[in-house]
Amino acid sequence: MPPSQLKQLKASLRDSGVLGPQKSKKQKRQNAKSGANAQNRAQRETALEAIRDRFNPFEIRTISRNKFDVTTRDSGSKPAAGRFRPGVTKSLGEEKRRQTLLQEMDRKNKVGGIMDRRFGENDPTMTPEERAAERFARASQKKLRKDSMFNLEEEDDDEEFTLTHKGESLSFGGGEGAQDDFEEELEVDDMSDSEMPRKRKRLLDDGEFEEPGSQDEEEVPGRKKSKHEVMQEVIAKSKFYKAQRQMAKEDDDDLREELDKGLPDLFEMLRGVKPPPKPEPPKSDIASMNPDRAALLQGKSQVDTEAEYDQRLKQLTFDKRSMPTDRTKTEEEKIEEEAQRLKKLEEERVRRMRGEEVSEDEAEAEEEDEEDDEDADMFEEESLPDDAKDFGLQQPTTTSHTTSRPEGIDDEDDFILDDLVETRSDASASFDEEDDDMLDSNEEFEEEEDEQEDELINGFTLPDGSKPGEGAATSDMPADGLAYTYSCPGTHGEFLEIIKDATYENLPTVIQRIRALHHPRLHSENKAKLGRFAAILVRHVAYIADQPEHPPFAIVENVLRHIHSLAKTYPESVSLEFRAQLREIATERPLNLRPGDLVILTGVAAIFPTSDHFHAISTPAHLCLARYLGQGPVNSLSDLCTGTYVASLALQYQTVSKRYMPECLNYILNALYLLSPEAPPSQPHLGSFPLRNPAETNSQSQSQSLRLKFVKTLTLRKLQFWDMTNSTTSQSETEDLKLALLTTLISLLDTASNLWSSMSAAPEILEQAISVLQHISSSSSSSSSSTPSKKTKKLAQLPPSSLTTLQSTLTNLTTHLSTSQKARRPLLLHDHRPLAIKAAIPKFEDTFNPDKHYDPNRERAELNRLKAEYKRERKGAMRELRKDANFVAREKLREKKEKDAEYERKYRRLVAEVQNEEGREANAYEREKRLRQGKR
Amino acid sequence: MPATIDKSTGSKKRKSTKENGVPSSKRRAVAEHESTESMAKILELEEQISESRKHYNNIATLISMLSKEGSGINPDLAVAVSLCRVFSRLIAGGNLTETNHAAENEKIVVAWLRERCREYQRLLVAIMRESDASSQATALTLAMRLLNERATHIPGDDNQAWTSGLFPNIFEAVIEARDGQALRSEFLEKFVKPYEDVTYHTFMQVAAYASTARSTEILEILVTLLSACDSVPNPDHEFENFYSKTSKQNKKLLSVNSHKKRAQDAWLAILRNNLSQPLRKTLLRIMVHHIEPWFARPELLMDFLTDSYNVGGATSLLALSGLFYLIQEKNLDYPQFYPKLYSLLDADLLHSKHRSRFFRLLNTFLASTHLPATLVASFIKRLSRLALNAPPAAIVAIMPFIYNLFKEHPTCTFMLHRVIRDDEAKAEIEAEGMEDPFDPEEPDPDRTGAIDSSLWEIESLQSHYHPNVASIARIISEQFTKQSYTLEDFLDYTYQGMVQAELGTGEKPLKKIPVVEYQIPKRIFTDRLLEEDGGIDTASGSLMRALWDFS
Repeated sequence: MPPSQLKQLKASLRDSGVLGPQKSKKQKRQNAKSGANAQNRAQRETALEAIRDRFNPFEIRTISRNKFDVTTRDSGSKPAAGRFRPGVTKSLGEEKRRQTLLQEMDRKNKVGGIMDRRFGENDPTMTPEERAAERFARASQKKLRKDSMFNLEEEDDDEEFTLTHKGESLSFGGGEGAQDDFEEELEVDDMSDSEMPRKRKRLLDDGEFEEPGSQDEEEVPGRKKSKHEVMQEVIAKSKFYKAQRQMAKEDDDDLREELDKGLPDLFEMLRGVKPPPKPEPPKSDIASMNPDRAALLQGKSQVDTEAEYDQRLKQLTFDKRSMPTDRTKTEEEKIEEEAQRLKKLEEERVRRMRGEEVSEDEAEAEEEDEEDDEDADMFEEESLPDDAKDFGLQQPTTTSHTTSRPEGIDDEDDFILDDLVETRSDASASFDEEDDDMLDSNEEFEEEEDEQEDELINGFTLPDGSKPGEGAATSDMPADGLAYTYSCPGTHGEFLEIIKDATYENLPTVIQRIRALHHPRLHSENKAKLGRFAAILVRHVAYIADQPEHPPFAIVENVLRHIHSLAKTYPESVSLEFRAQLREIATERPLNLRPGDLVILTGVAAIFPTSDHFHAISTPAHLCLARYLGQGPVNSLSDLCTGTYVASLALQYQTVSKRYMPECLNYILNALYLLSPEAPPSQPHLGSFPLRNPAETNSQSQSQSLRLKFVKTLTLRKLQFWDMTNSTTSQSETEDLKLALLTTLISLLDTASNLWSSMSAAPEILEQAISVLQHISSSSSSSSSSTPSKKTKKLAQLPPSSLTTLQSTLTNLTTHLSTSQKARRPLLLHDHRPLAIKAAIPKFEDTFNPDKHYDPNRERAELNRLKAEYKRERKGAMRELRKDANFVAREKLREKKEKDAEYERKYRRLVAEVQNEEGREANAYEREKRLRQGKR
Repeated sequence: MPATIDKSTGSKKRKSTKENGVPSSKRRAVAEHESTESMAKILELEEQISESRKHYNNIATLISMLSKEGSGINPDLAVAVSLCRVFSRLIAGGNLTETNHAAENEKIVVAWLRERCREYQRLLVAIMRESDASSQATALTLAMRLLNERATHIPGDDNQAWTSGLFPNIFEAVIEARDGQALRSEFLEKFVKPYEDVTYHTFMQVAAYASTARSTEILEILVTLLSACDSVPNPDHEFENFYSKTSKQNKKLLSVNSHKKRAQDAWLAILRNNLSQPLRKTLLRIMVHHIEPWFARPELLMDFLTDSYNVGGATSLLALSGLFYLIQEKNLDYPQFYPKLYSLLDADLLHSKHRSRFFRLLNTFLASTHLPATLVASFIKRLSRLALNAPPAAIVAIMPFIYNLFKEHPTCTFMLHRVIRDDEAKAEIEAEGMEDPFDPEEPDPDRTGAIDSSLWEIESLQSHYHPNVASIARIISEQFTKQSYTLEDFLDYTYQGMVQAELGTGEKPLKKIPVVEYQIPKRIFTDRLLEEDGGIDTASGSLMRALWDFS
């Protein structure tokens, strides 16, 4: 059985040396001197602490057992050695609650009260002493500030502003001796100057600071009155430092002076020769030194120097380093360079055509990552459902676009465009604009230099037939009736107003002058103006083509070329306008194209690269063409004319990229079918293209009239653009037009077959075309079965030229067919590397840390982290709340107990009182009773 | 009461005379005078009839006044109205009912009255057939009122009036009426739709009427009439709105089943008639929503659907869904279903407006994994052939569809990847090129040889002019990692939608400034500066300049 607690305590106290034999006085003194006293005390403290801990088994809680024996690098996350002090934390929490929650409880349901605004009253971190000190400091500062205005005795800081009455000071005791104890303290502090150095020393000396405990404990009681002292101390200290610094500086100055004196001698010694007496320092020196100083030296005003400084700086920046001048290049080199540049541009174009530079499988890999953000906005308006989006329908559009764009095409600056990146033709274009300005001589030079450019200038000046030099312009101005200056139009209406007097022939001149007058170099706003003007030109070119009097195509062409050259500088406004035009076409008249629309579509082919895989303008333009070809009417010859034009445009779009266009093929074949002199037999289809016949309303007569009839004078001519609007009347003209259409369509088929012969499905495509052509050739030359009366004529009917076209196309197609047939191999599309099977083996981590999470999925890891944090916080909050509730309950219980006790006490008192009184009365009664009894 | 009615009819009469447009005011006054005079006369005659039986002969007078030549043109409506009142009164008074123990002369009177009543009915029907719209409507109302009186007050006559007597005549008149558009809509809105007994009897009449071959116009009228009654009663529906009160006693009229039976008979009668193609298509189109709900036994539609399916073209497309329902649910045996389906894949299919509908169905039909691979391959090959001539919207739908088929039938993927192991065959192919074993003319999808072919068409479409279509076509040649594509997402593309996707709906700043062709062409339309190139035009756009004369 262990000994009792008391005995244990005694034993342990003795063991740790807290209790021991009494020390002698001498020993004590010795200890105090050597400082062992303090050490002893510290030792004793720790020993006591240990004993306390030992005797209260609940004070320290250790983790009872470790689940796993783990060694980790960072042990810091757990509290040291797994020791908790629940008692301490509990009491701390209790204390804190008493300060906050209890206050709140007391304040609950109470209105009003006094707000304690004294400094530091609500700051629990301050000790009462600190609070008092701080308050005092503030009060004295306030006093100082306030006094400064009326303070008469500046010297005497310490003197209080005293109230007087009739010249005598009002003080309570009266006289010198009776002072406030507060002032008395000050006096005392002032007098104890001797203490100051010691204190400063203590502050300065670091070694002393390391001693905690005893010294501090001693100081604490003294601090109450030491506020003023501290202030004094600080002031003194700063004064001291200042003096020291001053001293050091003076010393340095002395030393430097001494050295400076010796410097000339030193120089002399170095050179060995005595230099001539120096004149004034040269100006350049002044320029190179600080202008302020220079001004001081020279007595110049500050402004002058600064101006000079700026000037010089500018000079420096414009100073060229001497460089070897460019050797004049030989003719061959120039050609070589040009070829290189063109080659580069062509390569870029091809890359765009292929759609992207990233290889296929890379794109596939990226698809997953990129599709979300990119497709999301691409498909926003369309609100496409998931799956169509899924494989990145629009994927190549954005990527290809970002990567393949040549850096030259931003409208940063005309100069850059001209000089560095853009083509010579563009440079010449801008030169053409400048020639009215000032650079005539240069222009001449350029003209001679570059053939292409020369051509372009001529092109621009062609319409008015003279060089647009200053003199030339003046000379032909009156003849034209054209003004020299035009304002730059802001809308198409304004432009129409400007050119309302000008003939078509003068239109290029007007445009040219507007461009020259508003050259971006002349005014900063001109850039925006010309951008708008470019858009207006786009609108105008469609407008003039729609006019009933057909403008000459040279003019349309010229305007288109102007647009092109403007588009290089202002690609955005031009392409936006083109898109607007296309949108108008698509929404208002998709199946009823006007000449203006066709001109716009032709312009697209000329101005924008139609071979691009995706292009903001060519792609919709393609769709417009295809839509017309696929769904447009085939009711009349003019419809067919339009359709043929559109089909040829579509083929022209594809000349480089050679993409397949089903609608185009369908349309050509269908049109040939409609135009062929005889209706083909209906049962075996000529191909798998859908047959479209003229609308029923026009009935039989119209559809009959589309078929080529053989009249005697059938002459072959070229199709004309305006055939699509002109309505020919005479029979022979109509037949001529039909023949022209037929021939054109056949040659289109030829072109198409050339484009598509390399496709793997070429046999299927070509077979349809061949069957249609064979039908035409049979029906136009050899068929004698239908009407015997025409039999004799038939053979000679088709003019020889178109017959040869037909025959050559047929042979061409047959050759293509046979070659593509030969080149055909079974498809081997799925030669992919087999996909890796997903492995479930966990990845081994070399430096595994159980506290870290190795989730490869970042988002999930983040989520888990947040979840854990939330859980922890929630637990903590719940625990706190529970403790709060406990505390509140306890407090309430305590209050109730107090109240009950109070009540009980009161009750007892009252009972006692009553009993007292009752007893007296009872006694009186008894007495009376007894008396009466006695009487009786 | 009669007085007010008189007034109203009188005013109507005046109005109609006014409408006739009498030129001079004097003559109008005379006409008005005349009309009031005749009004008074009619009233007097009517009064007399109600007063005593002596004046029954007035009925004959009135009838002769109603129509001069016995035809329905230009009837005197006031007379018609008053006659209706007279007969209603007589019927209500039991004067038209023959009692067994009546005297001989009594019987003669009744017979005579009945004769007159029939005559009046005949005249009303004639008016409905031939007169102008307003008289037609009035005649219809009067006839229906008379019908109601007869059904209510003549015992044993209620069934007879509806089934064989007056109502069939009215119905026929309505259907065959000249310029009867207004009359028919009146009939529909005022009688057929609100009153369930009228609906019921109309169904009966339609069935009877359409049992003989009728012209297309009549059938169209019948179809519109029937499809207007599209509210199929629920099984627990209570019939309450009846035109004549006696209908409540009729058990048949109260049962939902008999209603449905009548409607079914009516529809069947129409479907069995000789239908024109457009009408057949209309019927097929409304089949699901208007016709099928009436049918307690949809099997009855088999003949019609099978016939329609055999027609071919768009009609077959429309018949497909109904037929499929019957095959699936009602055990219809259609032996040549897949060959027929295969034959539907013709050149026009991908361009038709029923394309997406067809694809939905085709997706269902080919969903089974138990279909032979040869058949599936034939469908794939045929579709890809057609895709060569298809608009982009169709190609966009075909590609995921084919992908899904490949995923379901991996045997078919030989069409995408075929390695020739046989050295001889390999050498031959190297020398000669591969002949396509697919026979497009073969109608039987099991024997086309498609499975031995390759999908060159799809590969060619990978260079389609539209970038999105091209990239969709590319899914076929990439690894088949996706389980399947939701076909529904690819069906409803149009040119308009695609253009709008590219261009947007309004002016918006471009994300990326488009590339501009780096070289300004020397010529676009004209032969400008041709001599510099040695007279041969090789620059871009030479194709256009060669073919077209821009002047």
